[in-house]
Amino acid sequence: MSANRAVWGRVRSRLRAFPEQLAACGGQAAAYGRCVQASTAPGGSLSKDLCAREFKALRSCFVAAAKKTLDGG
Amino acid sequence: MLWPVGLWRMWWRLWAAGLPAESLGHRRVASGVSLPGSTSPRALNIFDRDLKRKQKNWAARQPEPVKFDYLKEEVGSRIADRVCDIARDFSLALDLGCGRGYIAQHLSKETIGKLFQADIAENALKNSLETEIPTVSVLADEEFLPFRENTFDLVVSSLSLHWVNDLPRALEQIHYVLKPDGVFIGAMFGGDTLYELRCSLQLAETEREGGFSPHISPFTAINDLGHLLGRAGFNTLTVDTDEIQVNYPGMFELMEDLQGMGESNCSWNRKALLHRDTMLAAAAVYREMYRNEDGSIPATYQIYYMIGWKYHESQARPAERGSATMSFGELGKINTLISEGKKSQ
Repeated sequence: MSANRAVWGRVRSRLRAFPEQLAACGGQAAAYGRCVQASTAPGGSLSKDLCAREFKALRSCFVAAAKKTLDGG
Repeated sequence: MLWPVGLWRMWWRLWAAGLPAESLGHRRVASGVSLPGSTSPRALNIFDRDLKRKQKNWAARQPEPVKFDYLKEEVGSRIADRVCDIARDFSLALDLGCGRGYIAQHLSKETIGKLFQADIAENALKNSLETEIPTVSVLADEEFLPFRENTFDLVVSSLSLHWVNDLPRALEQIHYVLKPDGVFIGAMFGGDTLYELRCSLQLAETEREGGFSPHISPFTAINDLGHLLGRAGFNTLTVDTDEIQVNYPGMFELMEDLQGMGESNCSWNRKALLHRDTMLAAAAVYREMYRNEDGSIPATYQIYYMIGWKYHESQARPAERGSATMSFGELGKINTLISEGKKSQ
C-alpha cells in the first residue's frame, strides 16, 4: 500500500507544477483554445487531431517549461 | 504425500478463477443494472458509494479542510437561513450527508432541540465543527436511514443528495422518517453545475482522443426535482435555484479543489485515466473559452433548494370545487369590494 502512496505522491507533485508551466505557454495555449473554439461555431465540426499543429506547439513549450523547472527547482 | 496437496491447490485456483465476482462479495455491477434484492425495479446503480465514502474520508482527513470548505459553508448558511425563516422550533432534527456539519453552526439551540448528524464518512463526523446544539453523530447512508417512522420534525440535507443512486427512494425515506407537519429542506447541485469544465473536457477529449467519456456526474433537472418530491409524498413544495460562480486561477486548481471537497467523480462509468495531454488541452480550451477579464476562470455551481412538508390536517389545502363565493370576472372591482367588506365589519 505504501508503494501506491509513493507513486500517488509523485504523480500529484508533478501535477501541482502544471499551472506554473502552463502559465509560461500562454500564447500557444490561446492559439490552441481559439482553434478548438472555432470548430464549435455553427458550421464547424470537431474531429480528432483537428488542431494537432497548435497542440504540438503547446506541448513542446510545456515540456520545455517542465524541464526548466526541473533543472531550476 | 505432496501430490494430492498440489492437485488440491490447482483445483482451488481453477474454482476461484471460475467464480463470478458477485458471489465473492464484491459489488461489481455495471451501471443501469439493478442489484438482486433491491426493492424497486427503477433502482439504478450509477455511483460507487464505497468509493464516495473513501473519497469523503480522504477529504476530511486533509491537513487543512477549511481550505476547501467555502462552497459547503456558503450553502450551509443559506439553508440555515431558510430554517430560521420558518417560524417554528424543532425539537428533533436530522442533518443528512452533513459532512463536517456546516448547517448546525449557524443555528441556535432555541431553534433546534437536538440534532442527529448522519454521513457515510466517519472522518467527517469526527472532525465536525463546533455548534451549541446538542448533536448525535450517526454513520448512515442517505438511502438506508436507520430511523423509525415519524421521528423528526426537521430534515436538512446540504449538497449530498447528488451522489445518491436512487434519489426517489432517498426522498421517500426522508418522508417516512418525518413527523406529520414536519419539513424537509434540502440543497443539491443542479443541471448547469460545472458546465464549463464539462464542455472543456469534452472538446479537448474529442480533439485529442477522438471521443469523450463523462467526467462530471449527471445532475437532476429542476422539473424532475419537483416531480420526485411530489411522488415521495411531500406537500406544499418550494423549489428555487441559485447560481454561485467561483473564480479560479486555472483548471488544475479547480480540479484540486473539487477533490479536496470530496466531490471527485465516482460514477461506475467513469474513465479511470485522464491523459496528461488531454488535461493540458482542456486547460487551454477552458482558459480561452471562458476566462474572465482578469485572467481567472469561472466555475458555475448551480444549487437547487427545495422545501417540502409532510401532510398534516392543519396545513392549508386547496378549497373544494364549487365553493367559490366570487368570480374572477369581478377582479376589476376588487378595490370597491375590499372597502365594502371593511365597512360591513
